[in-house]
Amino acid sequence: MLALSPDSNERSQQLANRLHVNYRFLADPDLAVTRRLGLVHAGGGPGGKDVPRPATILIDRAGVVRWTAFGTNVQSRPDPNEVLRAIRAL
Amino acid sequence: MMQPMPVSPRAGTRRLALVALLLGLGTVVTYVGLLQALIPLRPVWYLSAIGLAVLLAGIALSRRRHWLTVTAFAVTLLLLGAASLFNFVATRVPMTPSALVVGRPAPDFTLPDSSGRPVRLADYRGQKAVVLVFYRGYW
Repeated sequence: MLALSPDSNERSQQLANRLHVNYRFLADPDLAVTRRLGLVHAGGGPGGKDVPRPATILIDRAGVVRWTAFGTNVQSRPDPNEVLRAIRAL
Repeated sequence: MMQPMPVSPRAGTRRLALVALLLGLGTVVTYVGLLQALIPLRPVWYLSAIGLAVLLAGIALSRRRHWLTVTAFAVTLLLLGAASLFNFVATRVPMTPSALVVGRPAPDFTLPDSSGRPVRLADYRGQKAVVLVFYRGYW
């Protein structure tokens, strides 16, 4: 599990400690990777800053995308059970 | 035998208006409180709760016109409008085409993790399946 955001490493570490999760947080501060993958919500952040749009992607061992959930609302997240079902279906 | 305290229709209506007002405002407070704990309240829940508050305030108002019932109806209706605007307009994300397409290989990238170590997506190939989660961050 890789979680990707423009947050700084310090901020992500704080978040990981607070949520007690052990997955890896990746920092994309200038959104270079996010932009290349077409996952930028232009002007969606504070002060019209660009931010990633919520997305969950399942990639199999062969490196092929097998399942995606792209949020149409900043509040929307896929149901964790839905993600688990997609993983079990691999 | 103890008789239950009679509730006059007036007091009952005022109480209903008060419940509606508390439900509406309480939902907003709960939303903000849970957000601090990083638990976002789902739109279906807060919209339903505020919708119910409007309904209760409407019933109270239809029973009796009183400053409290009028206020409760106006405030809850305003909250419903604000919550709807927030959910259906302010938080919408425009759909843009993504390079991550089901059935196609994921484009490779390398990014540092929170300890600064570079993580390359292709390094997982042949090893593990990957769940990639993009989120807005907490700045």
